[in-house]
Amino acid sequence: MRKTIINTIVVLFAVWFFQSGVKPPKEAATDFQLNAFAHLPVKFDGRKKPIDTFARNFLTVLSDKQSVRSADGNRISATQWLLDTVSGRPEAMDYAVFRIENLDVLSSLGLEERKRFRYSYRELLPNLGKLDTAARSAYGKEDRQRDLYDKQIMKVANKIYLFQNIMASFEDPSGIPQEQLMATAQRYTRLENYSIPLVIPPGSGNPRWRPLMSSLLSTHAARPDPLAAEFAAMLAASRTGEATSFNDALHKYGAQLQTENPAVFEKLSFEVFYNRLGAFMKSASLYLLVFVLSLFGWLFRKEGLVGAARTLMVCAFVPHTFAIVARSFLSGYPPVTNLYSSAIFIGWAAVAAGIIIEIGFRKRSAGMGNLVGGIAGFATLLIAHFLAGDGDTMEQMRAVLDTRFWLATHVITISLGYMATFVSGTIGVFYIFSGLLTRRLDKETAENMYRMMYGTTCFALLFSFVGTVLGGLWADDSWGRFWGWDPKENGALLIVLWNAIMLHARYGGMVKDRGFAVMAVAGNIVTAWSWFGVNQLSVGLHSYGFTQSASFWLTVFVSTQFVVVLLGLVPARLWRSGATR
Amino acid sequence: MKKIIDFFRSLKLTVVLLCLSMVLVFAGTLAQVDKGIWTVMDQYFRCLIAWIDLHVFFPRSMDIPDVRIPFPGGFLIGWLLVINLITVHWASFKVQVSGGRKVAGIVFLLLGVLVTAGVMFGWGTASVAATESDAFWRVFLRLGRGTLAAVVFYIACLLLYRKRAGMVLLHGGILFLLIGEFATALFAVEATMTIKEGETVSYIDHSRQLELSFTDTSNPDFDTVTVVPGDALKDGALIKPDGLPFDIKVNRYMVNSNNPQPLQGISESLRSRYPQYEGHGARLYVTEQPEASGASGTRNAPAVDVELFNRATGDSLGRYILSLWFYPNFVNRSWDMPTNITVGDKDYTVYFRFRREYVTSPSGNPYSIKLLDFVHEKYEGTQMPKDFASQILLINEGDQVERELRIWMNNPLRYARRTFYQSGYLPDDSGTVLQVVRNDSWMIPYLSCMIVFVGMAAQFVQSLSRHLRREG
Repeated sequence: MRKTIINTIVVLFAVWFFQSGVKPPKEAATDFQLNAFAHLPVKFDGRKKPIDTFARNFLTVLSDKQSVRSADGNRISATQWLLDTVSGRPEAMDYAVFRIENLDVLSSLGLEERKRFRYSYRELLPNLGKLDTAARSAYGKEDRQRDLYDKQIMKVANKIYLFQNIMASFEDPSGIPQEQLMATAQRYTRLENYSIPLVIPPGSGNPRWRPLMSSLLSTHAARPDPLAAEFAAMLAASRTGEATSFNDALHKYGAQLQTENPAVFEKLSFEVFYNRLGAFMKSASLYLLVFVLSLFGWLFRKEGLVGAARTLMVCAFVPHTFAIVARSFLSGYPPVTNLYSSAIFIGWAAVAAGIIIEIGFRKRSAGMGNLVGGIAGFATLLIAHFLAGDGDTMEQMRAVLDTRFWLATHVITISLGYMATFVSGTIGVFYIFSGLLTRRLDKETAENMYRMMYGTTCFALLFSFVGTVLGGLWADDSWGRFWGWDPKENGALLIVLWNAIMLHARYGGMVKDRGFAVMAVAGNIVTAWSWFGVNQLSVGLHSYGFTQSASFWLTVFVSTQFVVVLLGLVPARLWRSGATR
Repeated sequence: MKKIIDFFRSLKLTVVLLCLSMVLVFAGTLAQVDKGIWTVMDQYFRCLIAWIDLHVFFPRSMDIPDVRIPFPGGFLIGWLLVINLITVHWASFKVQVSGGRKVAGIVFLLLGVLVTAGVMFGWGTASVAATESDAFWRVFLRLGRGTLAAVVFYIACLLLYRKRAGMVLLHGGILFLLIGEFATALFAVEATMTIKEGETVSYIDHSRQLELSFTDTSNPDFDTVTVVPGDALKDGALIKPDGLPFDIKVNRYMVNSNNPQPLQGISESLRSRYPQYEGHGARLYVTEQPEASGASGTRNAPAVDVELFNRATGDSLGRYILSLWFYPNFVNRSWDMPTNITVGDKDYTVYFRFRREYVTSPSGNPYSIKLLDFVHEKYEGTQMPKDFASQILLINEGDQVERELRIWMNNPLRYARRTFYQSGYLPDDSGTVLQVVRNDSWMIPYLSCMIVFVGMAAQFVQSLSRHLRREG
């Protein structure tokens, strides 16, 4: 009875936690109808998405956040920020959205270091010429000759160029005098070679998606493009702050699109809902809570606490699962397509493994499954959060990679292999810490933890072997080379080899429980290197997953795991649990 | 003798060998920051003794002495693992059944071999195989065939080895995979075929072999081609090819050379040391470059500095620099720069080029490929490629084959024991570059993958169910 009540409370808490923020703020009829505006379609980076997604991604690229604070401290949503900015409202120039953290870059732009490192376009404006010169010189160099300053300058300049291009793509050329039209048209044609948002969907007579400025320009002489005209009217109304005419134009635009091309609205409101749910970060917080609760429950053998944590883990797992399925549905690709999605998938699978451990070992797990699922789920979702800064995480795939079959088989299997190795390694870390620092690791617990590690290592070997071979078959199928010693292939091979070594060392009696735990922790290093380290080499056919700051965190992670390995090798008599064994 | 057997049947040896291979793979991966993939492969993996450069383990900014450490190479480790695997199994996994069961086991074993051979040699598959549907079914079908072989083998193992069937099967699969990869390393050949739209091509360029070709164009009815294989072009060598009225002295063989630059734009100090060449070298600057690394994404462009001597008189016919950069297929047909030489009454067109092979089907008849159309699709509003596809016409008059086919990303054409993959394209999408691979052991990974999978899964499911029974 008590258990049921606790579980009910946990579930209710989780539901309340997840629903917050899903509902848009109330809008009166006389306000700007931003919610409806957020649902309008736009094609950017090759994918149709709602303006809501576009605004969030764009803002994330510039500032690493999905909302912005105005000068008077109010929180402004990404959509409102975008509308204010592209319509040219005066205060938009003062939104501090450009994140610049490098001090040398800041001083060369004549800016002071400040908390949160965010600057407005108006602050950057006086020194844009300088930035451009520095960026051009950095671009002129070969990659190896670029120093940190060059790389940081390029990073900032890329943000500025992206910002300027996107601003220009929302220009209204109606005010441009006749004699400059030719030059403007040429400028727009050049601009269309860059990645710019195409906001005007295909409609009657126009089979393609087009950016706003070109659609408005082409209507100059010929008959007006009604869709583009309404969109321009929306922006004009926003600029002057006339909510009624904005809403009026918005409705006309929506109604027109609805009659001309109703299919364009498909999936849009679902995607807005997905964005607002923000399931991954919320699940991450809950997983952390699961971990903390289970840690106490496990250390002090509090069965009730462990039970509550288990329920909470399942409650966080359900939206996590939903969000992965939703991503697949929205993007049309299998769950893992890039580093970001591999992180959320590996986290998901690790939590699933935690749940399976809890079921497989029943009472004897004593919450070990929660511990593993909680920390792995939290860590991977946090990693995913930091990886999301590159823009749309549901990007379209390059031609080589665009084979859903291989993405669905090879990538999923190999991710499961990573996951199982990490789960085993995480148990190894708990084994070493609890043995060294506490008396919790008695004979039975050690035996159980060993069996969990052994079981997951078997599956890690199975998945990583099959995944690696499938990767080879993909390569054979794409360019006729089953095994090319490409860095990413080698990374996967290292995981297979390491898992094989662990099992053979065990079969040969070379290691016992503790040795196996130490090896499992070393498996974390191997896996982390092959997941992120290989990309740092930026060699070979897999180098699409390149990220910059990851290499620092990878070093940190590898060093900590190395320390744990050394701790695991401390003689057993110095372990606090040593005496009880 | 017993000691040797004991050494080889120990699991400790397995663990040591696997650890050594991890070190080797790790070093071979890091080495690719500086070196090209083929160099790394020869230096680390496809050799008995590997020479590991010490500096690969350190950041490139640190000044590490240029030391090379000898280490067991890929082939050595591979063969030792094979011996180790076989001895361990021979010693520890004895066939413990007899009578009818043993006979049945052997029958299934032979059946498995038969199925495997059938799958490998493609019994029952079309001679011209291009995909018209999704990659999905084709690969599933292949994995399905592999599963068929694996299941037959598993039944054999189950009959012969009872509980240890999975163990035996999975290691058998590993053995098969190792042997397959060894065969690939020795026998697989990679080449390319470059075709402009509307053009018909009947030869391939071998990516890893070069040759010096002399085409005698004096006769209006036919050309006479004489080639000097790239292996003969050693520094200081004097080559006397049959059928040519001159000798070739090799001054310098360059593993990599620069993209030729106009000589006027080169600084005076460099120009003063530049040899006096005839031909393109008289107005272009070509010089030796460090080897291209896997990180830069560029390829080596070898060049050779030669001097020709009239065989009859012994007079010099001039010194020439012949670079792969002058060969049109290397630069994706951006230009064509033959070197022309006149000796007596004969005109020669000279190229330093990839080894050229005219393709034939197994029946010995030549065939050719015509590019009808090349399609390069991008995602709307981006420069990101969405699809590359070559619409081709495969013509083999001797075998009466004339078929229009499509080769696109992940969907190659398999014909006459070669596989044609969409690999690149010419400037302005005016043509295609196909990767042409001949690898007769290409089905082995499909088979061994499924064999290992079935064996491993059977073994783990067995231990899992034992565990769950114990849990109650």
